[in-house]
Amino acid sequence: MNTADRQSIEVVDVVVRAVDVARTFGSGQNAIVAVHGVSCEVRAGALIALTGPSGSGKTTLLHLLAGLDIPTTGTVTWPAIGTSDQLRPGPIAIVFQAPSLLPPLDVIENVALPLLLQGVDRNTARTTAMNALRRLDLESIAAKLPEELSGGQAQRVAVARVLAGRPRLILADEPTGQLDHMSGAVVIDALIAAATEIGAALIVNTHDAAVADRLDQCWSMSNGRLNTKATAPC
Amino acid sequence: MLSTHPIRATRLYGSWLTALARRRTGRLAATAVGVALAVGLLASLGTFLSASKATMTKRAIDTVAVDWQVQAQPSADPVAFLAGVAGTKHIVASEPVLFATTTGFESTKAGTTLTTGAGQVLGISDRYRTTFPAQFRQLIGVGSGALLFQQTAANLAAQPGDVISIGRAGLDPVTVTVAGIVDIPQADSLFQVVGAPVGSQPQAPPDNVLIVPDNVWHQFFDPVAAARPELVHLQVHARLDHRLAADPAAAYSDVTGQARNLEVHLAGAGLVGDNLGATLGGARGDALYAQVLFLFLGTPGAALAGLLTAAVAASGRDRRRREQALLRTRGATTGQLVGFGFTEATLVGVTGSALGLALAVLVGRTVFGTMRFGATTGAAIAWSGAAAVLGLAIAAASIAIPARRDARDLTVAAARLRIGRGRSPRWMRWGLDLVLLGLAATVFWLTSRNGYQLVLAVEGVPTISVSYWAFAGPALLWIGGGLLSYRLTDLLVGRGRRLVAATMRPIAGGLSDTVAASLQRQRRLIARGTALIALTVGFAASTAIFNATYRQQAEVDAILSNGADVTVTTSPGVVVSPASKELQAITSVAGVRHVEPIQHRFAFVGADLQDLYGINAATIVDAGRLQNGYFQGGTAHQLMATLAAQPDALLVSAETVHDFQLLPGDAVILRLQDGATKQYIKVPFHYVGVAKEFPTAPHDSFLLANASYIIAKTGNDAVGAFLVDTSGRNVAAIADTLRRRLGTNATVTDLASSRKIVGSSLTAVDLDGLTRVELGFALALAAAATGLTLWLGLAERRRTFAIATALGANQRQLGAFVWAEAILTTGAGLATGSIASWALSNMLVKVLHGVFDPAPEVLAVPWTYIAAVTTIALTATLTACVVAIRSARTPHLELLRTL
Repeated sequence: MNTADRQSIEVVDVVVRAVDVARTFGSGQNAIVAVHGVSCEVRAGALIALTGPSGSGKTTLLHLLAGLDIPTTGTVTWPAIGTSDQLRPGPIAIVFQAPSLLPPLDVIENVALPLLLQGVDRNTARTTAMNALRRLDLESIAAKLPEELSGGQAQRVAVARVLAGRPRLILADEPTGQLDHMSGAVVIDALIAAATEIGAALIVNTHDAAVADRLDQCWSMSNGRLNTKATAPC
Repeated sequence: MLSTHPIRATRLYGSWLTALARRRTGRLAATAVGVALAVGLLASLGTFLSASKATMTKRAIDTVAVDWQVQAQPSADPVAFLAGVAGTKHIVASEPVLFATTTGFESTKAGTTLTTGAGQVLGISDRYRTTFPAQFRQLIGVGSGALLFQQTAANLAAQPGDVISIGRAGLDPVTVTVAGIVDIPQADSLFQVVGAPVGSQPQAPPDNVLIVPDNVWHQFFDPVAAARPELVHLQVHARLDHRLAADPAAAYSDVTGQARNLEVHLAGAGLVGDNLGATLGGARGDALYAQVLFLFLGTPGAALAGLLTAAVAASGRDRRRREQALLRTRGATTGQLVGFGFTEATLVGVTGSALGLALAVLVGRTVFGTMRFGATTGAAIAWSGAAAVLGLAIAAASIAIPARRDARDLTVAAARLRIGRGRSPRWMRWGLDLVLLGLAATVFWLTSRNGYQLVLAVEGVPTISVSYWAFAGPALLWIGGGLLSYRLTDLLVGRGRRLVAATMRPIAGGLSDTVAASLQRQRRLIARGTALIALTVGFAASTAIFNATYRQQAEVDAILSNGADVTVTTSPGVVVSPASKELQAITSVAGVRHVEPIQHRFAFVGADLQDLYGINAATIVDAGRLQNGYFQGGTAHQLMATLAAQPDALLVSAETVHDFQLLPGDAVILRLQDGATKQYIKVPFHYVGVAKEFPTAPHDSFLLANASYIIAKTGNDAVGAFLVDTSGRNVAAIADTLRRRLGTNATVTDLASSRKIVGSSLTAVDLDGLTRVELGFALALAAAATGLTLWLGLAERRRTFAIATALGANQRQLGAFVWAEAILTTGAGLATGSIASWALSNMLVKVLHGVFDPAPEVLAVPWTYIAAVTTIALTATLTACVVAIRSARTPHLELLRTL
């Protein structure tokens, strides 16, 4: 395989790459180095668990990989996606720990929102959203408001929202952190199924070993440093 | 488990307070500002009321020439009587005044003898005019010797230096040389019937009066007193110690009490004509009007500030509920949760009240020139205390009570509900808004159909009352209007989702349906904001319109009193023809645009002597700025056209029409003084219409006729007054120039001075201050009701915006949600508020009819102020939106960590 071929495959495959990335909050004596010296690469279809104790820098790294935050030093690039202003809505989707549905929109409107933000017309967006809900057996709650859902239902709707947008990279920040074991398992199943179905890379930030075990790779963080392993379990 | 030990509890609440102050500074400050506005407005209005009352009392005292006229009874011993009055505790100066009835005066001019009817001859000491300088106004001649009343001088065609004869009942007449001619500004009081029964008709003062030194009086009338004692009487005129209570009602009570006390002390030897008490009695009516204005204009402002505080506090309710839930999981009891609510309310209430009182001090100092909240120390404590209590009550109602309700009754599931699909509020289902509006209309109709009096001040009754029932009309209209705007917004956003989506398409594009859906689910929040803006705009605009209308009518009143920008009134005995040198002197002054000569005569209608004004009907409407309200049965132009078309046409007062049972076209014979013979001759006129008011004319009865006809019939073209139009510019300077040029030949008055003395003490002095306070607070409320509440509402949804940003919404897409909400809330609020303010202004002007004299023809709309309110509301909205969008533009990492 020549260099050009390798570069071509890389562009198709590598959804995000971090090179010697550091993120420092504050300055002087109050400076806190949340992430430092992190280099990693995520390829399409990868299912990665990101583990580590609280305060180890997991969420900061996730934000950096999502393009929500800018590294203090080092670079983050998205070869298979494009520049930082092309990440959202569309190629990168995020699932948060707490319910992240917009309160005044009902379930189907919430799921359709990223598509509408991309400029998809209303009817197509609603049809796609309903299909995503149907895939997760959520069509019966399509007209409900977020405040009328249980925590597990709300997170599954958030997964449906990800699915509807068909992203290249899914970043989930402790998506089961506020759920009971059973509900958490259902949400993780849904996330893995969604990522697998659309061929997206999935990084799940989690404390739960059971969740991490469900994924192919396990990365761990400690004191802002990333330790990557080739395979699960963690 | 959180501690319940008193010391630990104190520490706990102290820590809570410290944390609140550090972490919730913006929200606490905004809530405290709402409380401060309410407290500041109430306390400022207290200052207004206090300053008004004090000014009214002072003005009332200043306007009285003689405080008391104590009249000796026929059986009284004059020496003991005089000593008794002079020794009274509250009297600081007193002078005896002798009254005698004369059979008439007579003068001879160019071989013609002029006589008058019966009159009065007063005997005064040489100290009298120094002690009571306002009793007589010197017109011409010298100030001592025989002084002739100006109307008598006109009747006798007498001037200083002329000799007149004084008729004495049963005795030979005596003669005296006229030394000067004076006006008696308060002739009604001077010649009052002392001790007349309460409610009896006041007696008209005599037309013929001569004032002579007391030694001359004794020389002339001691023989009359001996023969006909009923024709003479003795009064003591007294000036009281003016260190009275600042409140007119209290001062009235003091003075009338002292008068009664003197009467008791004199044991039937004298009766008190209480001029000061009567004037203070009028002022206490004005004081009650000030109170009425306070209630009408101030209470809604304070209520609005309270509502605003509640709205600001409510915008942080979700956060408070989340904090309560967290505290509960940490073991806080319901009592402790309630305690936290009360701690926050206390912090906000105390801070807001302190700020409000400081604001009121500043406003009082700037606007009213006083830093006190009341005329007395007690009143100051009461006002500031009441305002502070109001602030604490608002804070408690806005923060502590909802927190208590949430802590006690709210389930976790219910606490999660932010949007809700619940039914409409109960008041909407019951149609409370429509009921209130219906009641407002009914109350207004009931209270205004019979020309009710808002303030009832019955003569002789020490207490006065206000028809508070009339307040219900505007209050119900205001509240009903606010609730109706809520209903209409709820209806528009709830049922008209497609319409809203179509309207929002230009700013929301493909998101318009989603934006409309979002708005529909938040319609209660939007409707609440709309109602608040509608109430604020209704308050601000109706207050401004009322005040502008009031100023307009005060100007009309001033013009009515003065006649024109500058009015030159010829002195008695000075004959000025239309083409005289005086006219030349007036027209040649720089800045004089037009001069309108007006004749002033006295004419007998039957036995009734009335003022007759000879006018040029073609030019008087513009020159005299005649209002349609001055006339009955047609506009000013129509009636002047009628007058111009018929030379012998006559406009009379409604009272004259009633007294003489006149019908249009009836012949009216007036007796006018002939220019050559000075004898009264009969001149025929025809009654064509009714004049209610006319510049410089008295309020009760007068006549208007064509000047050319009067000249033709009497041969006398003498001008009584010149109305000088300066286009409203340099009025005082032009008046000064005219005074210098015309000397004693004429009296020059100007509109600027007239403005200060027209109307009651209330209308002339303090409404300007009230206006500034009201309108200033209204602007602050408008800014807060729009920008602050919108911004806090948006700030509370930072999490929602953070999610949308994380999902990839760009600035324009985020802006669609923000702008749509802002446009809908502010637009609907301004629209419904404008309609409400129009209805309120009309109702206010009608309900407060008694404040206006004359009644306004049309409302005066202060467009500049209304534009300022609109601009402030729009700017505040714009600022809130821009700040919200800019802060949501980049994902808030702290917030994202909580997602």
